[in-house]
Amino acid sequence: MNKGISRKRPAPPQPAANPAEQQATSPEEEEEFVDEDVFLDETLFETEDNLVLHDIEQRQSLASRLTNWARPPLSHAYTSASRSIAFQQLEIDYVIGESHGELLPNWSGSAAIIRIFGVTKEGHSVCCHVHGFEPYFYINCFPRMGPDDISRFHQIFEGRMGEVNRNSKVPKFIRRIEMVQKRSIMYYQQQDSEPFLKIVVALPTMVASCRGILERGIQIDGLGMKKFMTYDSNVLFALRFMIDCNIVGGNWIEVPAGKYKTTKPLSYCQLEFHCLYLDLISHTPEGEFLKMAPFRILSFDIECAGRKGHFPEPTHDPVIQVANLVTMQGENQPFIRNVKTLKSCAPIVGVDVMPFDTEREVLLAWRAMQRDYKLSSYSLNSVSAHFLSEQKEDVHHSIISDLQNGNAETRRRLAVYCLKDAYLPQRLLDKLMYIYNYVEMARVTAVPMSFLLSSGQSIKLVDGAKIIKLIPGRSPVPDVGHLEIRVLEAKAGFYENPIATLDFASLYPSIMMAYNLCYCTLVKPEVVHKLNIPPECVNKTPSGETFVKSNLQKEAKDPLEKAVLDGRQLALKYTFICPLIRISANSVYGLTGATVGQLPCLEISSSVTSYGQQMIEHTKNIVKDKFTTLKGYEHNVEPIKLEFEKVYYPYLLISKKRYAGLLWTNPGKFDKMDTKGLTKTGDDYGVKAAHVELAECMRKRDAATAPNVGDRVPYVIIKAAKGAKPLLRIFEPILKNASKELLHGSHRRSISISTPANSGIMRFAKKQLTCVDCKALLSKADRTLCSHCKGREAELYCKTVAHVSELETLFGRLWTQCQECQGSLHQDVLCTSRDCPIFYRRKKAQKDMAEAKVQLDRWSF
Amino acid sequence: MEAMEIDSEKNLHRKHSTYKLLDERFGIQKEMYRGQQYSQIYFARLHMMRTLLYSLVPNWKPHLPVCRVLGLERDKECIIVGTLYKHMKLKPCVLDEYSKTRTVTPLVKPHNFVHLDDHLILEDESGRVKLSGNVLSPSVYVTGTIVGLHGKETDAGDFFVLDVLEAGLPPQIELPLKSREGKYVVFVSGLRVGSSSLNPLQFQLLVDHITGHLGDEKEQGIAAQIVHVVIAGNSIEVPHVLLNGQNLASKDQSRLSEPIKELDILLTQIAAGLSLDIMPGIYDPANFALPQQPLNRCLFPGSSAYNTFRSCTNPHCFDLDDVRFLGTSGQNIDDLDKYSEATDKLDFIERTLRWRHLAPTAPNTLGCYPFTDRDPFLIESCPHVYFVGNQDKYDSRLVKGSDGQMVRLISIPKFCETGVAVVLNLGNLECHTLSFGTQFSS
Repeated sequence: MNKGISRKRPAPPQPAANPAEQQATSPEEEEEFVDEDVFLDETLFETEDNLVLHDIEQRQSLASRLTNWARPPLSHAYTSASRSIAFQQLEIDYVIGESHGELLPNWSGSAAIIRIFGVTKEGHSVCCHVHGFEPYFYINCFPRMGPDDISRFHQIFEGRMGEVNRNSKVPKFIRRIEMVQKRSIMYYQQQDSEPFLKIVVALPTMVASCRGILERGIQIDGLGMKKFMTYDSNVLFALRFMIDCNIVGGNWIEVPAGKYKTTKPLSYCQLEFHCLYLDLISHTPEGEFLKMAPFRILSFDIECAGRKGHFPEPTHDPVIQVANLVTMQGENQPFIRNVKTLKSCAPIVGVDVMPFDTEREVLLAWRAMQRDYKLSSYSLNSVSAHFLSEQKEDVHHSIISDLQNGNAETRRRLAVYCLKDAYLPQRLLDKLMYIYNYVEMARVTAVPMSFLLSSGQSIKLVDGAKIIKLIPGRSPVPDVGHLEIRVLEAKAGFYENPIATLDFASLYPSIMMAYNLCYCTLVKPEVVHKLNIPPECVNKTPSGETFVKSNLQKEAKDPLEKAVLDGRQLALKYTFICPLIRISANSVYGLTGATVGQLPCLEISSSVTSYGQQMIEHTKNIVKDKFTTLKGYEHNVEPIKLEFEKVYYPYLLISKKRYAGLLWTNPGKFDKMDTKGLTKTGDDYGVKAAHVELAECMRKRDAATAPNVGDRVPYVIIKAAKGAKPLLRIFEPILKNASKELLHGSHRRSISISTPANSGIMRFAKKQLTCVDCKALLSKADRTLCSHCKGREAELYCKTVAHVSELETLFGRLWTQCQECQGSLHQDVLCTSRDCPIFYRRKKAQKDMAEAKVQLDRWSF
Repeated sequence: MEAMEIDSEKNLHRKHSTYKLLDERFGIQKEMYRGQQYSQIYFARLHMMRTLLYSLVPNWKPHLPVCRVLGLERDKECIIVGTLYKHMKLKPCVLDEYSKTRTVTPLVKPHNFVHLDDHLILEDESGRVKLSGNVLSPSVYVTGTIVGLHGKETDAGDFFVLDVLEAGLPPQIELPLKSREGKYVVFVSGLRVGSSSLNPLQFQLLVDHITGHLGDEKEQGIAAQIVHVVIAGNSIEVPHVLLNGQNLASKDQSRLSEPIKELDILLTQIAAGLSLDIMPGIYDPANFALPQQPLNRCLFPGSSAYNTFRSCTNPHCFDLDDVRFLGTSGQNIDDLDKYSEATDKLDFIERTLRWRHLAPTAPNTLGCYPFTDRDPFLIESCPHVYFVGNQDKYDSRLVKGSDGQMVRLISIPKFCETGVAVVLNLGNLECHTLSFGTQFSS
């Protein structure tokens, strides 16, 4: 996933005239999502869109192809709203709008409306507005709280909210407060549940401001200043909805006939309707509901006319072309291909070319097309080479302007390039089965697909299950920096014997299960005494934390983790889902250790690592004792599988996490050369992320060529620090006294002779031919060789001509390869892809060839 | 009666013929590498060939419209002319050699890269279209060939080919009527002087035979009828390990120069007696890309003193008594053999003639100079004799064109392996071989 696909949440429709992002980038990864209220504003643009659409339809030549684009027409049962609508949802978000008068007669004012987008099995696009679902969260209840206290608390709280949100027009902030029996996930507790207050608010954004007020403390008459712990307050609204309605990412949702109301459409979806959240039927992804609806996937590429030396910016650089390709999920050829260009463009086979006169028209036409496709963006540079083993043709952005300013033919050339770029992501999607993977991942982790693309791993977990227990709001965690994880000392050196590699299968999750380590089994030591827990029922971990054993805490397994592991039952049927589950299970551990994460719990993570440590130590001893009979590693609690993973032969180990070796997984032949840590990565630098710094440096130097998020920078050449000896780093593990052998001795002696180039006495110098071989000055009669070398003429000629011959071979092969990649024999190669292994060679071959030819021509007389 | 006269005088005179060198278009002395690419040679080729093919269309299918690739309309039959591109699964790719994982799969070099999944694409400067149908066999055609196609665009966006128009044999100058009887031309290739496979005695026998130092008077009489010798490539075996840019030790210097000297001595013997053309081949100390430039005169200090000695380009074209000769040292045909299929080598030779292009695979898989304004490999006028050197065995065929053209195709075997040279009768364009063998009774 990290292979260069930039993280960006599909943007809500933006005001037109501001679209020119060439390859969308997002500034930083966001670990935590914040609800943003999006207000319904699409109506503003409708008229404009329609105008352009109308304009397009006037173009007769395109009319026939346009009909091909349309989604299948709705059957009568749909139009008359007489049948239930079942669809596979792809995206869930919410907007703030007026509450629906018919569905919710008692409501007034603005409310959050959930929007579910999806596709039916016939291929109709669906937009479902769900009403009546309210945002809420929990707080702990103060002791002996009665109904009167609650209503008084309600009033005070409402007042405080009013003060904070003075500008808000919402009549009532806190809808209601109820008392419920729940329990927190943190710490072992003996009773099953305790009272909590459920606070229902009007709009999702208010949750955060409520939390602020409550955590800072609130003055209550008779009780004084009270601070509250909030629970479930950082669960996103859309997720909250999914959890409560049993919806998992990418599953099928059905709305029975008669339960929905159609209205004037706001989106471009074929079926748009309103319903109540209680009427939704969510189907678990099993049997028939494992199928995929015929989604349409749009990939596009936008070309901008850049200024030389700058990366295009929306304010300065016009968008000149937009290429679009639409593929039906499960098919391998796009069925819509078009290019929208600024100014005329020569036609391209099998592609609709739609020329427009102004930038505005190009973009509006594109918006019209964009209407029912969800967008993701990709950065392509090395991805293509990696997965498709094809080089991406890369046209330098300065050439793009030149092509645009040429004639219809050159713009056509650009359009072809644009289309190819647009098609690449689709081929990648196909090749890597991203669609299947993401739908499955979304189902396993129960979040909408877009969350998987845009957020880090922790999001996959927070709602890994229907939450029975409450997750506390963010509690301040002392920032202790990274956990100190002790790793065995690496024995640096070069190994010429095969090195076997053993690996624990899902070590951390297994430890957590084996030792019953969980948020809800953690007990503070003082509590152990207070609750009189018998010592045989607790487990003291090597890091000194205390956890109760499974016989005491029934719901021992972490509910999050359990859900993830339970997914395995289902997933086993479809083997390709398995790696996804492993990713999820591993991130449980990550979640506990990340101090900035959703639910940090350092006690758990340090315990896990300390157990891991012990286990590795123990394993090491066992392996040392009898490594021939080693099969698995039986531990006292639950078996943790130890896998024989691979063999390195030979193997160069420089230090921990820095090695290189040929990797073998079968005795026949090796798989690949595996290297790690030999180039610097982000981990090698403390807090400052090296890659960020580098990108910043490169941006300062030349904004146009600076890397974007997801781009790979293969290497940079820097000025070495004074006294740096990179050679030593490489040879140290192999050579004893590397420094002495490499850096001292006769081979290091240097002799320098300074030659003035163009000053002083050199102005009196005359240029004269020298002998090709011995460099002696030639007399006027000779042209190639001096009289001394004349006797070896044949031999020296052979040498020169052999060099030319070699270069010619190279020249021919490199340039024809570029023609091949380009996919055209009759057009000049424009590609300047710096990621391509032959780009520089190709250029160099051209230059060397010219020089060698001149040299060879000296012989012809 | 005449023979008797010669006999009685005991004095044989070698016959003469007029020779005209036609190699200018293969010269690149004035050309420079200025950053030009290969698109221009394709462009020039397409331009020339299209004009030609368009002129043939009225006689072929006059009722059909002629289109560009872009102008194709679905289900409408038309004729398009363009450059073929063969998409080949097994074609070796230079990128593989440079990719990081090159050690994983050893680069196998099979003899032939044709695969069942290969398909053809037609391209003109406006665009490309994939070709379908059974009329055009991908195993026959190669990248760079220019053809006219009759067919129609299908729903899938392919061009379904119904018929193929090839350029056919070019027009031919008429065979002169003046007497060419009793004149012979000798072709030899693949001498590889300096390699272990050449038997030096065989070559000496050949030289002696040509120069008339062998056999009785009858045999000398035959030798006297030889008017011209063509050496079609690969005359010298240069140990390439020595040419790595390093300065050579004196022992290696002689290893390098000995074969060249040896060849020069033998060529001097021939050149002293009759006219001799020597063409460079792939292993000769010449440039690699076609057209290969003449072997430098400094390699032949002895023979180059004679005006009968000509160092020529590869390909090579000349008139001998107004009989047109055209030939190569074999690279063009060897490359076709790698990237297409035929029952024998002469088929490849005949195809290049019908496609009117000496080396269609250049520059795609065969190195060639990036010409900007012309394609010297186009065969504009049909030769009477078309020879190709360095083939596995001798073969010959007479091809007749639709306009009465007659072409003698000759595949010249490697001399060092077979000991065979080819003799052509200039009178009737018939061929036979000269076989040299050495046997020692012990």
